[in-house]
Amino acid sequence: MRGKGGFNNPIMDSGPIVRLSGVGKRFGNGPAVLEGVDLAAEPGAFISLIGPSGCGKSTLLRLIAGLTPPSAGQIALAGGADASSFLVFQEANLLPWRRVSANVELPLQLRGDGTGPRRERVRAMLGLVGLEEAADKYPWQLSGGMKMRVSIARALSVRPRLLLLDEPFGALDEMTRDRLDEDLLAIRTRDPFTAFFVTHSVAEAVFLSTRIIVLAANPGRIAREITVPFGYPRGPELRESAEFLGLLAETSRVLRSVLNP
Amino acid sequence: MRRSSSWLLPGAAGALLVAAWYAVVLGWRLPSYVLPSPGEILAAAWQERRTLLASALITGRGAVLGFLAAAGGGFILSLLMAFSLRLKAAFYPYILMLQMTPVIILAPIFVLWLGQGLPAIVAVTFMICFFPVVANTTMGFISADRGWGELFAVCRASRWQEIRYLRVPAAMPYFLTGVKIAGTLAPIGAITGDFLAGTQQNGVGGIGFMTIAYFSQLKIPALFATGLTACLLGFLFVGAVSLLHWLILRRWHDSMIGKE
Repeated sequence: MRGKGGFNNPIMDSGPIVRLSGVGKRFGNGPAVLEGVDLAAEPGAFISLIGPSGCGKSTLLRLIAGLTPPSAGQIALAGGADASSFLVFQEANLLPWRRVSANVELPLQLRGDGTGPRRERVRAMLGLVGLEEAADKYPWQLSGGMKMRVSIARALSVRPRLLLLDEPFGALDEMTRDRLDEDLLAIRTRDPFTAFFVTHSVAEAVFLSTRIIVLAANPGRIAREITVPFGYPRGPELRESAEFLGLLAETSRVLRSVLNP
Repeated sequence: MRRSSSWLLPGAAGALLVAAWYAVVLGWRLPSYVLPSPGEILAAAWQERRTLLASALITGRGAVLGFLAAAGGGFILSLLMAFSLRLKAAFYPYILMLQMTPVIILAPIFVLWLGQGLPAIVAVTFMICFFPVVANTTMGFISADRGWGELFAVCRASRWQEIRYLRVPAAMPYFLTGVKIAGTLAPIGAITGDFLAGTQQNGVGGIGFMTIAYFSQLKIPALFATGLTACLLGFLFVGAVSLLHWLILRRWHDSMIGKE
């Protein structure tokens, strides 16, 4: 079940970037949000998490990000708890009083990097997401799609080994979302990272991922795992291919079977 | 509304008011010690210009010092309360109590402790300006967007970094709102202060002091002129504070965007 999805991985580490064993989560005395989650991300994997609302996909990301501790089980990050992971939120969460460049710079500044390397990295990151022109603008001057690009540039600035994306393009229109999905893969080719990606869109999951994890609700648990066999790079034409449409249909079927068992 | 109406309408209304004023004064043949005409007030203001300017400076000094103390002290206290909810729970009721006690009652106590003069005036101004700064700024510190807090958590920011790079800038609009209110109150506070604790040198004191002096001398047009002076001082103060507000927020805050 846990195939590598035919991804030719440029990161040569052995062993998973992160491994979850028997992870469960409940808030206070409430019902279990997640139960018995076993999951490992090999270097270079792009793992999408889909499932009905309330299945705990966002909670799972927050657990991996270390924003909240698990109530059961273990989460082991390669390189220890301080190994860099970065969570990209549903909202861009840009600080409105900082210019675009200063927003991208924030994680580097908080980490204590020197000014020179910081500037250089910010310029490189803005280039990566195609926003060199917007460096001196304020967030209110940007469109929703541009804000998300800044948010991604900010996340990648610290070269996280693990990028966690919580429905990053959920609030955008479909065309912008498709475009950003393509860009995300292009960025990944140039600046490789391992990713967990929460989404409601089956098409987005199939387009991006090496693997798709389908979660079931009450309690949140892994129901199925689907390996995506397409190699990279993937362009927009993939969306029209018969293989893509076939896998899209199959994934939708699996998701439906999880929703109405 | 057309642009011209922003000048035309208040201008016309002002002319109408002045005309009505003259009509009342001339119609009822009111003596100037009951109601001086606008012309008599301006004449008195010109005649007493040195005294009035000096009194405005005296009052202005008290207002600025009290205002700065309230803005600075209010900011620091809010910061402390925002980061220790226990501290806030413990002290906020008493700050409220202090605010509810009319400053006019506190003023004699300040005179008792500090003596007549500038320190007591500054204390009165401080008391009047302090609360709006504290109330607004505390609100600002605790209402930074939750998503930003999580971003800082993801970045593993220290407590101090979170204060410096997130809480303080996020609270700025609130702080400046408090400061703006304090700015409108500061001249009133200082005038109240020198009304109750003012001193004089060669017959010249703060605006509040001059009010009493002119009243006891029955220089009624000059008394009205002190009102005009106080009004101008107030505008000057609010103008300066608004400028500060604009300078800090103009580039990013919703309230400023698209107004330039």
